[in-house]
Amino acid sequence: MIAYVSVGLLGLLALSIPVGIVLFLLGFGIDTFFSNFPLTRGLGNMVWSSSNSATLIAIPFFVLLGEILVRSGVATRTYAALDRWVSWLPGGLVHANVATATMFSATSGSSVATAATVATVAMPQAEKLGYDPKLFSGAIAAGGTLGIMIPPSINLIVYGFLTQSSIPQLFLAGLIPGIALAIGFMAITVIICLIRPDLGGTRRTFPFVQMLRALIDLVPILILFGMIVGSIYAGWATPTEAAAVGVAGSFVIALVFGGVSWSMITQSLTGTVKITSMIMLIVIGASFLNFTLASAGLGRELTEFMTGLGLTPLKTILVVVVLYIVLGFFIETLSLMVVTIPIIVPLVVAQGYDVVWFGILMIVLIEMALITPPVGLNLYVVQGARKSGSLNEVMLGALPYCLTMLAMAFLLIAFPSIALFLPNALQ
Amino acid sequence: MELKMIHGLRVINKGVALVVGFGLLLCAGFVLADIIMRQIGTSFGGTEEIAGYAMALATSWGMSYTLLELGHVRIDLLRSRADSFKRALFDVFSMIVMSGVIVTIAIKAWPVLERSINNGSRANTPLETPLVWVQLPWFAGWVWFAVMTTLTTLAALSLLLKRRHSDTENFVGAFAEQETLQ
Repeated sequence: MIAYVSVGLLGLLALSIPVGIVLFLLGFGIDTFFSNFPLTRGLGNMVWSSSNSATLIAIPFFVLLGEILVRSGVATRTYAALDRWVSWLPGGLVHANVATATMFSATSGSSVATAATVATVAMPQAEKLGYDPKLFSGAIAAGGTLGIMIPPSINLIVYGFLTQSSIPQLFLAGLIPGIALAIGFMAITVIICLIRPDLGGTRRTFPFVQMLRALIDLVPILILFGMIVGSIYAGWATPTEAAAVGVAGSFVIALVFGGVSWSMITQSLTGTVKITSMIMLIVIGASFLNFTLASAGLGRELTEFMTGLGLTPLKTILVVVVLYIVLGFFIETLSLMVVTIPIIVPLVVAQGYDVVWFGILMIVLIEMALITPPVGLNLYVVQGARKSGSLNEVMLGALPYCLTMLAMAFLLIAFPSIALFLPNALQ
Repeated sequence: MELKMIHGLRVINKGVALVVGFGLLLCAGFVLADIIMRQIGTSFGGTEEIAGYAMALATSWGMSYTLLELGHVRIDLLRSRADSFKRALFDVFSMIVMSGVIVTIAIKAWPVLERSINNGSRANTPLETPLVWVQLPWFAGWVWFAVMTTLTTLAALSLLLKRRHSDTENFVGAFAEQETLQ
């Protein structure tokens, strides 16, 4: 059954059938070949119960929040403000790329939207100030991936939903690794630019008064982030409620900055519906596949399979890491996460690993998938915004950041408390 | 004719998506109001339940818009290496498979609604919502999606048979990523 699912999955995906549909097809296949009961009879109920969810409605809320911020021009202001604060570092504006991406990912929860926003705002500056296009665009593609790690993360909501683990705990666990990655990205930029100063463009300093004034543009986003994350952690609000608060907050910010118009509202709403349905088709398909796999006795088969291999828990994790890197070349974040959860998570948990910790490790690995060719969505997004040069430049530029992520993955394996410290401390 | 029909479907589903979007916005407002009411010691009650229904409805009715905007994720690895005729074959094949699956889902969704109608089922919650009220529009959403995928598949198939395969790219191709970024 494991072989059937793996081969079937890759084969059907390669035929470019939509990912959500592939998951349903595999579920039908399990029903036909491996189950004694007619599992497809439960299909209607599965579709109903997996979409009738007050937890998952946090997804459209967070998407909407991001759409409102992006479409109202708040990103441009944030970028300009961060430019004032970080451009004195070796690597100058590259840090503004990473920092803006970090701040936006902290509120919007979508990597692609984050990369697109920063790329559109930042690219015109790069040429003007003489930055190396490789490093500059690579940093945007990489910075954008933080969107799925730093809470509120849509991917973590989906992970929590499918593995029935606590979403607030996952959010807590993602905070330190997410910030550590952002700092890691900036550190590697400084190192590269100290070795090769010609890559880093002009370093600039701004008068302190200007820096202070720039803070005004940063404060609203920071407050919004604090409101969302704080209310979840303090236990005042569920992730869904916090997301609703976030929608209202982003609306207020957009109003204050004068970015609200009828067309901006309708575009944000239709954009939200589009992304939500895209995610939900995959989530519902995964729920159905999960259900058929569990009913057909995957758990037992997996345990036997693993005992047969005789791997230690550590070796198992290393195999899993390699698997994600390889699959990450070809499959994208959410799809990669959702199609692997039914098999990989039970396997890892059976080896005694923490399900929340593994969620964070998985997020680091699928973040890498966003910037590894040939299929790395953020690479294409940044290239799309560049309108000149070749895709290879973005790929090369993203490489140092890829290695930083890999280092982060190994750190997480060596020191699980990087992720688990906060959830344990605040429990 | 096919392209005209697809254009029509796009216009209709954009309207549907707007309604769904405003529904979600309304739901966010409702959740927010409930949080505020809780601070002053009272509550609507049942917000979670209503949010769940809103999500189920938004999901079933939003699918078609995503379909017509090429939003459902596909892995574009082999397909992107093929010429435009072979790409159209990939697209039409995947649309046929998709229609089959979605029509199956719509058919299997009916027993869920049927049971609620026959038993007069109510939700096991304080609101005791009659499930028919929410499951009927939910079921209708999946039927709508099934009809939309079937019509889109037929349009693509018809263009393919007329050897106008490059025309299919724009409504059954793999990505419209660039547009979404603007």
